[in-house]
Amino acid sequence: MRLSLVVHVCGLLIRVFGLMFLAPLAIALVYREFNDALGFTVSAVVTVTIGQLMRQAGGISAEQALEGMRRVEGFAVVSASWLLIAGFAGIPYLWVGLGPIDAMFESMSGLTTTGATVFRDFSQYGRGIFFWRSMSQWLGGMGVIALFVAVLPRLAIGGRELFFAEAPGPDDEKVSPQIRRTAAILWRLYTILTLLLILALRLVGYPLYDAIVHAFTTLSAGGFSPHPLSIQGYQNPAAEWVIIVFMFLAGANFALQYRALARRDARIFVRDEELQAYTIVVLVAAALVVVALWRSGSSSDLVRIALFQVLSIITTTGFASEDFQLWSDQAKMVLLGLMFIGGCAGSAGGGPKVVRHVLLARYTIRELRRTLHPRAVLPVKLGGRVVPETVLQGVVVFFLFYMLTFALCSAAVIFLGADIVTGISATAATLGNVGPGFNQVGPMAHYGDLHPVSRIVLTLAMWIGRLEVLTVLVILRPEAWRSGQWSSGNPRAGS
Amino acid sequence: MHIVIVGGGQVGAALARALAADNEVFVIDHDPAVADVFASLDVEFIPGSGTSADVLARAGIKNAAFLVACTGLDEVNIVACAIANKIGSPETICLVSRADFLGASPEAGLEQFGINRVLWPEAQLAADIEQVVTAPGAIDAEVFAGGVVRLLEYRLEADSALVAAPVRSLHLPRGSLIVAVKRSGKLFVPRGTTQLAAGDKIIIMGTPEAMREVAALVRPGETGERQKVTIIGGGDVGLEVAERLEKVASVEVRIIERDAARGAKLAARLSRTLVLNGDGTDLELLESEDVGRSDVLVCVIDNDERNLLASLLGRQLGVPKIVTRVSRPGNLRLFERVGIDVALSARGAAVASILHRISGGTSSLVAVLEHGEARVLELTVSPNFVARDLKAIGTPEDVIVAAILRGDLAIVPRGDDRIGPGDRILVFSTGAASERVQAYFSGTGG
Repeated sequence: MRLSLVVHVCGLLIRVFGLMFLAPLAIALVYREFNDALGFTVSAVVTVTIGQLMRQAGGISAEQALEGMRRVEGFAVVSASWLLIAGFAGIPYLWVGLGPIDAMFESMSGLTTTGATVFRDFSQYGRGIFFWRSMSQWLGGMGVIALFVAVLPRLAIGGRELFFAEAPGPDDEKVSPQIRRTAAILWRLYTILTLLLILALRLVGYPLYDAIVHAFTTLSAGGFSPHPLSIQGYQNPAAEWVIIVFMFLAGANFALQYRALARRDARIFVRDEELQAYTIVVLVAAALVVVALWRSGSSSDLVRIALFQVLSIITTTGFASEDFQLWSDQAKMVLLGLMFIGGCAGSAGGGPKVVRHVLLARYTIRELRRTLHPRAVLPVKLGGRVVPETVLQGVVVFFLFYMLTFALCSAAVIFLGADIVTGISATAATLGNVGPGFNQVGPMAHYGDLHPVSRIVLTLAMWIGRLEVLTVLVILRPEAWRSGQWSSGNPRAGS
Repeated sequence: MHIVIVGGGQVGAALARALAADNEVFVIDHDPAVADVFASLDVEFIPGSGTSADVLARAGIKNAAFLVACTGLDEVNIVACAIANKIGSPETICLVSRADFLGASPEAGLEQFGINRVLWPEAQLAADIEQVVTAPGAIDAEVFAGGVVRLLEYRLEADSALVAAPVRSLHLPRGSLIVAVKRSGKLFVPRGTTQLAAGDKIIIMGTPEAMREVAALVRPGETGERQKVTIIGGGDVGLEVAERLEKVASVEVRIIERDAARGAKLAARLSRTLVLNGDGTDLELLESEDVGRSDVLVCVIDNDERNLLASLLGRQLGVPKIVTRVSRPGNLRLFERVGIDVALSARGAAVASILHRISGGTSSLVAVLEHGEARVLELTVSPNFVARDLKAIGTPEDVIVAAILRGDLAIVPRGDDRIGPGDRILVFSTGAASERVQAYFSGTGG
């Protein structure tokens, strides 16, 4: 691994990210929040300057460096730049008075589309800040690096490694053989869907500002809302139905949606096995929640409430149209289970992903059948195609590390003073990028009262969860560093 | 007639043997070693490649009426046909071994290269095997005229309802007809007085509804159950059979393949079939996988000796119905003599079909049964034919009119059904009689 290359590319990415502050800056100026506007200006200047310095420190000409990017360097760039970008994206929060741990937590929660917050009093912050909070989720939803791959010609070649390191689904499905075009197509679809949602929310009565920020956090499966009571605060059933539809889309594979649209063939959508499983899980979970709520006495609009909450959790959005902290334990258990499923691969949703569950289930059934027929050839298939053994092993290893990370983090949070339900749900909700948990971190509450170390641990959990565990863990291996050197003159010499 | 055969393998040799007496036959093969086979025949052997224009010219392709390309290589066959078509104007018949070459339409298929007829013998074999497998109890099965007429062959057991009385007093369902009986190796068309006996093989034709009743009559209590089918050998034919059987909901398929890499390929292609990796002639494997409890065993290894061994092991384990592929047509009778219910040969069927094509005629041969001893022909009755009742038609003893096809309907005729000019009919005949049958219905019938 050539550290100079990693530093250089990170600098390149960070410098571009600095320009993103211009959007909230404009909003702050529109609403005459001049102090916040100054904060965004400072953030932009600091980010661009440091990015530029890192670029120069790396010092390799971009073309030369990116052509020679190796997989481990791709992982390192993605992991490091997500951590660094989260740091820079937190500067505006520092400016308005959050401590460094909280600023980092809020910023990481935004970029990873988690939606867990440490804001205690929503009235303290201006519209510029809330806009930035939502926008950071929107950027993180489709992937910051995918965006840069799409728009930066310099990332045309090394972009491939970066793209797959950022969204490491079990199958590398692309809509175009060219990675830049793939990234551009997906971002375009994402933007169009966002615009549609803004329009729809305007039509059902949301003010323009609220329509925009909620569209950002719905399509990205993020879940931030400028309203302290989340979606419940608007008391608008029509808007909830609109958001239900778009949450479903945000949790489905965007490449699949693109293909169905491009070929004008809805059957592509219907025939996809992951989408089938996703739909079944949503419907079954919603039915369970309806029964649980009905038995505990509530009665009005159960279907809407159940569908909304189930989609909000499984897509890892984290909106609340009701305070589900008040629900029965049965209903809460369904939601907790959904946190461990997540959206489809290639969607904005986080979590372990539906397709990995499908593969794990088929892998298990295969191993059972193998004991009955020891000589049988039993490939695991998805969509009629054989899934290679290496991919299956990858899925098993992913779940092992996911559960291990979950166990360690929740143990840490509980030892640092949280009750068991809080500890477990907070970890599941941050590692799966969901957002709200139960009890102390319920939908109407916040993470601000957890132990500071817990907040650091959960910040890391969000980071690890967003990059699907292995991207981060790989660069913690000593081998990745043993061959580490500042730079190599001849790219072929290092191996 | 002037006929050029490209490829001196088994198909080429069988064709040459059958055609040499009445035709000028040229055989082209690049392997001089096969020349010996043809030395004893009255044909001209030309060593060289069938894809070479020179070699084809030497075989006199300009004047040839037919070119049959039957080498083992599809591409060679296609190129040979295309070149022959450019030089002369023979009718070209091309053997292929992969589905890719059978286009969905003439524009997409090989017709665009001037190939008149594409034959894929293995697919035909697989289709035949599927027919046999999906007819419970039957040892042979065919469908005709797009499915409106079915043929089934049964071996009669001692307790069958059909051995009780002479044929005329058996109450067979209306729309079905016993067209042939095979007793101690001899095939004949039964008369009303024929008394069936246990151990006879009978061939029945009729409409699908009537045949369902027949199946219930011959084999009571064997309807609607899930059938377990084991296929040994995962080559082209094995795969094709498995793919066809997967579409039948009531069939459960297993396939045993020796080569691990091929097994992986099969498992990737097939969805419901259980692919087992092992040797189909390994008794231990067959026992541990309980192959004896299969309803049908299909042996389609590309090797007659191993096929025979696998079939006999299956019989030993108690499989009630065994269908085996035979590569060398000469082995067909032997296989059935040692107790294999149905022995089928892809090449044999291809040879028969090509011979029929070359011998021409207004009829089309739709099936060859019992290794050439019997045929089913589809004929259009000549416009000059004088309409008359079936009982007035003096069909010879070895011929029987099995069905009259009108529109999408099939009528299984009785004595008082009328046959007129322009009717399409299905005729069952024993081997020797088929030419006489054609002559009869293409004349006035007088």
